[in-house]
Amino acid sequence: MLSTLSQCEFSMGKTLLVYDMNLREMENYEKIYKDIENSIAAAHEKIAECKKQILQAKRIRKNRQEYDALAKVIQHHPDRHETLKQLEALGKELQHLSHIKENVEDKLELRRKQFHVLLSTIHELQQTLENDEKLSEAEESQETHMEEETKQ
Amino acid sequence: MDIQRALELLHMTVFSQSVSPCGKYLAAGNNYGEIAVFSLSAALSSEAKEESKKPVVSFTAHDGPVYAMVSTERQLLSAGNGEVKAWNWSDIVKKGCKEAWSRRPPYRSSLEVPEINSLQLNPKDNSLLLAGGDCSVHAMDLESGTFTHEFRGHSDYVHCLALRDQYQECLSGSEDGTVRMWDLRTGAQVQVIEVHKYEECSRPQNGKWIRCLATDCDWMVCGGGPALTLWHLRSVTPTTVFPLPHCQQHVMFYQDLILSAGHSPAINHLQISGELRAQIPCTPRSVHSLCVNQRSPEHKVAGCSLEGGGRMARGRGAE
Repeated sequence: MLSTLSQCEFSMGKTLLVYDMNLREMENYEKIYKDIENSIAAAHEKIAECKKQILQAKRIRKNRQEYDALAKVIQHHPDRHETLKQLEALGKELQHLSHIKENVEDKLELRRKQFHVLLSTIHELQQTLENDEKLSEAEESQETHMEEETKQ
Repeated sequence: MDIQRALELLHMTVFSQSVSPCGKYLAAGNNYGEIAVFSLSAALSSEAKEESKKPVVSFTAHDGPVYAMVSTERQLLSAGNGEVKAWNWSDIVKKGCKEAWSRRPPYRSSLEVPEINSLQLNPKDNSLLLAGGDCSVHAMDLESGTFTHEFRGHSDYVHCLALRDQYQECLSGSEDGTVRMWDLRTGAQVQVIEVHKYEECSRPQNGKWIRCLATDCDWMVCGGGPALTLWHLRSVTPTTVFPLPHCQQHVMFYQDLILSAGHSPAINHLQISGELRAQIPCTPRSVHSLCVNQRSPEHKVAGCSLEGGGRMARGRGAE
């Protein structure tokens, strides 16, 4: 009888220990469960962060590509400095040529005036010569007329 | 299923589609004038069966084909032969839905009834833009229902519309090969771009019609007869020509990509630099419209509607 009692006590002690063990296992599992939940929440947040970053990166990529596309078009057009230089050179040529034109026009004016003076003096001389001839003719006719009168 | 219905399905072309404000339903309009509403949450969930891929409700909306559909916060606007009808989304899902209102833009000639090819919502002043077969773009105020402006200038019918939010301008592409910009406040034409005159993108063997337009305020993509090209609007220069041999029927900007689809059985993902990043094959032989469901966080799916099959094909956009 003592042995059966001690056996019962022993099995009771064993089941008590098992019960304790189960309780502690449960606590352990609860802890692990909470940890996993926390890490899931953290992972969700990270995913949301990463999604935002992806959107940002996509926007950056889009801007870069737009820039590249415009740059390609711009490259087709000639360089601004070169065109400015060409413009300057053309401007200088224009100035130079207009200078020459002015000089030539001045010379032309001068010559024209001189010719004008020359021509007008020739005309005057012609006029005076004609006048002189007329005067001398008139004098001769007067002389012959006077001679005829004295003869009569 | 009787033979009549089978024949109808064979010849059905779905021209337009629109997502509900809650993001859970997709409405599609076909060439028989019917609108079918599909439940996206049921069809795309993991336990989707054949049944859940069929329309939840389907009703006859117009007597001609439904060419364009757009969704506001509470209503679905559909346009077909000459009139725009509005349906409340809350009533649509229950059977036997009646239209909330129906309007007809003022057409100059009363003999022919021009179709409305495209609708575009302008949320800033709560108005709707309609692109019509009468060669002009009409603007309608949604609150009062009156037609405020008529933008005349195109010489042939207008295929597509796009809205430039920042500058309150609207672009329209038409069969006559031009893209015209209209100022929405004054009603004047701001600019004309004759796409087919530019050598880089014109494809004279296809014609000069512009079928699709999309804009991002500074940039514009247009395609159709000429090749799909990206334009910089301020300098009006074509910057990139995309290497797609087929005529594109619908194009849109999405994040940093340009999605386009046309006469080939694929949705093209293009980058602004001009490369073809992905070509997602889809069931229909030719795609008429694309839309991206951005209102629902769970179901970001790009839908495309098709010709010659009577089925909705969906390609998941590669993110």
